[in-house]
Amino acid sequence: MVNVKLDGVEVEVEPGTTVLEAAKKAGIEIPHLCTLKDLYNGASCRLCLVKTTRGKLVPACAYQVYRDEEFTVNSLELKRIRKVNFELLLSFHKIECWKCERKGDCLLASLSQELGVEGIPVCSQCPLPPEECLLTKGILCLGMITSSGCDAECITSGGQCWGCRGPITRRDVLERAFKRYEELGFNIDDVLFRAEIFWNSVPAFEKLKKVAAEVRGGKK
Amino acid sequence: MSWTLLDKCCEKCTHSLDNPCPDYIECRVNGPLCHSDKKCKELRKKRLEEIQYGAVGAKIKIPLSSCTLASGAENIYEAVKDYVEKNGLKISISISGCFGLDFLDPWIEFTSKGMPTAIYANVKPKDIPRLIKEYFEEHDVSSAYVLKNKTGKAKGEDKVPLLDELDVWKKQYRWVSRNCGIVNPESLEEYIATGGYRGLSRSLKMSPEQVIDEILKSGLRGRGGAGFPTGIKWRITREQKVTPKYVVANADEGDPGAFMNRLLAESDPFRIIEGLTIAGYAIGANQGYIFVRAEKPLMASRLQKAVEEARKYGLLGKNILGSGFDFDIEVILSAGAFVCGEETALLAAIEGRRAWPRQRPPYPAQKGLWGKPTAINNVETLAHVATIMAEGAEAFASVGTEKTKGTKMFCVTGSVKRPGVYEVPVGTSIRYLVEELAGGAVEGSAIKAVQIGGPSGGCIPASKLDLPLDYETLQSAGAIMGSGGIVVINDKNCMVDVAKFFLTFTSAESCGKCFPCRVGLKILWDILDKITRGQGTEEDLVVLRHVANTVKYASLCALGGTAPNPVLSTLRYFMDEYEAHIKDKTCPAKVCKALITYTINEDKCIACGQCAANCPVNAISKQESGKYSIDVDKCIRCGTCYVVCPVGAVEKHSRGRRRSGGEMKW
Amino acid sequence: MSIKPRSKEPKTPLEENNMFRGLKRAPHNLIEALRRVQARYGYLPPEGIKQAAEYVGVPFSQAYSVATFYHQYSLEPVGKYRILVCMGTACHLRGNDLNFEFLRMLLGLKEGQKTTKDGLFSLEVARCFGCCGLAPVVVIEKPDGTRQIIGNANARVLRAAIIKYRRQEAGGNE
Repeated sequence: MVNVKLDGVEVEVEPGTTVLEAAKKAGIEIPHLCTLKDLYNGASCRLCLVKTTRGKLVPACAYQVYRDEEFTVNSLELKRIRKVNFELLLSFHKIECWKCERKGDCLLASLSQELGVEGIPVCSQCPLPPEECLLTKGILCLGMITSSGCDAECITSGGQCWGCRGPITRRDVLERAFKRYEELGFNIDDVLFRAEIFWNSVPAFEKLKKVAAEVRGGKK
Repeated sequence: MSWTLLDKCCEKCTHSLDNPCPDYIECRVNGPLCHSDKKCKELRKKRLEEIQYGAVGAKIKIPLSSCTLASGAENIYEAVKDYVEKNGLKISISISGCFGLDFLDPWIEFTSKGMPTAIYANVKPKDIPRLIKEYFEEHDVSSAYVLKNKTGKAKGEDKVPLLDELDVWKKQYRWVSRNCGIVNPESLEEYIATGGYRGLSRSLKMSPEQVIDEILKSGLRGRGGAGFPTGIKWRITREQKVTPKYVVANADEGDPGAFMNRLLAESDPFRIIEGLTIAGYAIGANQGYIFVRAEKPLMASRLQKAVEEARKYGLLGKNILGSGFDFDIEVILSAGAFVCGEETALLAAIEGRRAWPRQRPPYPAQKGLWGKPTAINNVETLAHVATIMAEGAEAFASVGTEKTKGTKMFCVTGSVKRPGVYEVPVGTSIRYLVEELAGGAVEGSAIKAVQIGGPSGGCIPASKLDLPLDYETLQSAGAIMGSGGIVVINDKNCMVDVAKFFLTFTSAESCGKCFPCRVGLKILWDILDKITRGQGTEEDLVVLRHVANTVKYASLCALGGTAPNPVLSTLRYFMDEYEAHIKDKTCPAKVCKALITYTINEDKCIACGQCAANCPVNAISKQESGKYSIDVDKCIRCGTCYVVCPVGAVEKHSRGRRRSGGEMKW
Repeated sequence: MSIKPRSKEPKTPLEENNMFRGLKRAPHNLIEALRRVQARYGYLPPEGIKQAAEYVGVPFSQAYSVATFYHQYSLEPVGKYRILVCMGTACHLRGNDLNFEFLRMLLGLKEGQKTTKDGLFSLEVARCFGCCGLAPVVVIEKPDGTRQIIGNANARVLRAAIIKYRRQEAGGNE
């Protein structure tokens, strides 16, 4: 048995155990995406990077411990690297949470909240399945263009979103969202009117309006 | 076939493939050793002379390697063969490797008994009859570029310098590249005659541990880039209990701008085979692999031929030189992927899979090829091993720095007068290489920076040229030693464009396994592209730095870990150029297409029409004055007219601040 | 007008043996097997990949993953003459991107298009050939497998080379 020290917490494990498993035993969460036991451990997502005492970054999912070792699991530096790393991953993800089957238990959505990466809409937290979306019933909801993460009563109970948490700034998400509004028969002016209640002094609102104008312009 | 050094001199010789003699190598050159017979000794001596001057006393040597072929050596070879055959001359023709002095290409060497050996540079096929006549009939060497020795018997000897006096030759320390351009790379006999295989026969008389100790004593570090001590790597591999073990020669030299491994393998392949055999003996492996890059097929075929030749004479196979050690080598040609230079990816490629690197540890020395302990060494390292074992560790360790002993081959290319491969002791300054050996910047330009270590390296500004070339110093300056490619960048090159070029390369070559590298490099490229199009913002620089650092620290393998180096080092040393692109929307070096225009200077134009004839979009038309001018709206700024104009009348101008370009698209 | 079946005749076992002659049936020979398929067909057709996979004994999926990974393999037919423009550092700095553009225009290729309509030439970007001292370098792979390496390439020599090959082909067909 070897001793692994993770951010000061000591845990005893079999030699050959990965850092990730050791952390699980110690009750420490390390964010990870790609590793699946017995299926894949290629250390591809690089979100589970931890720091050794020699200052090297190693993936917790693939690094096996054979002797007493110490790791830093959470630090400002690691957090920043994980965040940028996750942003890179998300930048190639086609975000359409309102249509997504997994919106309730999406690993990306929960990680984005944990790491503080914006760009995911409120829909990811909405308890309603996609086919029961309020928008399909003609109820105007700002969930598609509002940043997720507020956990307020209105969302968790399946009510409509009023956008108090602020707009999304990612352009491609906005484009898709406005196209969706038009598809469902909403007037974009109505959407913007509703949005102005909370956002009239938010700088990102100007950008959002531009995107909206473009989407509308493209239709004509 | 006629008798060669490698054959028996008489019936008294007991050596055979089934019963090899441990003193085989020594015996062939200084022999015979087992019996004293004047006749046999004479026979061997005579043959040694024949190797130097050819069987008929006169010899023409033509270098056939990729670089000389590119400059037309094949035509020279044909021309020489034609002329000699047609005129029934008694001259033997042989091939050789390449000196590494690319500015001489194609060159040709004449040797004749009693005459100085002469090398002619930049030869054209039509010169051949004249040169042969001059040298072999008139005994005149005055038009040679350089002589290897002087005899005082030929005309014009005083006018031509000696090779040993030439700057590019005498200022080098040719240790591992000593045979390059000298011997015939396809002849084992010549290799042995010039001292080859002495290292192996000495090693086989020692125990494997002693061989490892000798390498440790020499202080040899891997020449592939990371600089890991070779002896330690071997010791770890030897200590593993699992068998079988493997040795692999990494000849997947992928860095653009580096070709010392190709040069070595094409000019002196037996040295690599010998080094790999010694490595196999030291770690206890019976099988070796040489993994060759796909773009260099000549290198693979030379190595393949060398392996077959060595096998034929019992230098590979069972019971090598009577030591009881069995070893064989397989040459494997890659299918083309830069990432194969990474050792774990290379192993995957040898196993016939996608060249995906994997997380280390476990290191290949513990779990490598097919999960067995494997020692992977660079080609140049192995050549060093063969030379160290022949000459002794002290001779090797007598040059170099305290931390890194010995010599290293460097490729100096880009805008220098004498591009080529130069071997110097580790720790030599960059300036020495670039200015003393490579001759400094080409006429009309000044050195702005040197790029060291290929796409994984960094750009070092001209002000830091006095830095010594060793692993630690370069790392702290933001570059890496890498394989040793030095590309000289002059003031006509734009640093942002250079950084973008490297990212084009690395993002295309990223294997796609881990996403900091796959996505991060693409994003870095996007931002640089935006900047070179004149649409960059100050914020972009912040993002650039953030993403670059993440890619550097979070990537799985060395490709991703070093790929942002060109960006980070140019940001560190050439911030002013980035700012010029972003703030003033100009490209100071006038390279970035979106920021320049082409015009024709009417005063210089000679109305030849070359530009109009070559313009792909017909943007150039004849004016009433008879001169030509460019329609700026039609022009796609491809630069063809700039290149073809014989008088330099086409000029580049900065476009200056662009008018409103509208919102840029992300 | 008679319609000929488009599919090629099935390869006889004899031909397969010819193609892979001397190659051990081991998974690690997949890369070499695929290379021979490419040498035989000029590119990697699906049935060729299958043959290679069966010969060395790996699943088709693995052979396909290898075929798509390495850039020496081409999954679509390439021209008779393969023009490879080196994009190494030295070549880039000495203006090989201009040569590439020039060749693209000269051959009348659209951006992203690889092979000319008549199937004679295909234009590709290649990695360093290790002739950096003679930059910029362009390599032309001829149908017989040999290659012409052009050092210090510029618009003039390249045009001459293309014209030479075009003429050879025209002469050969008559």
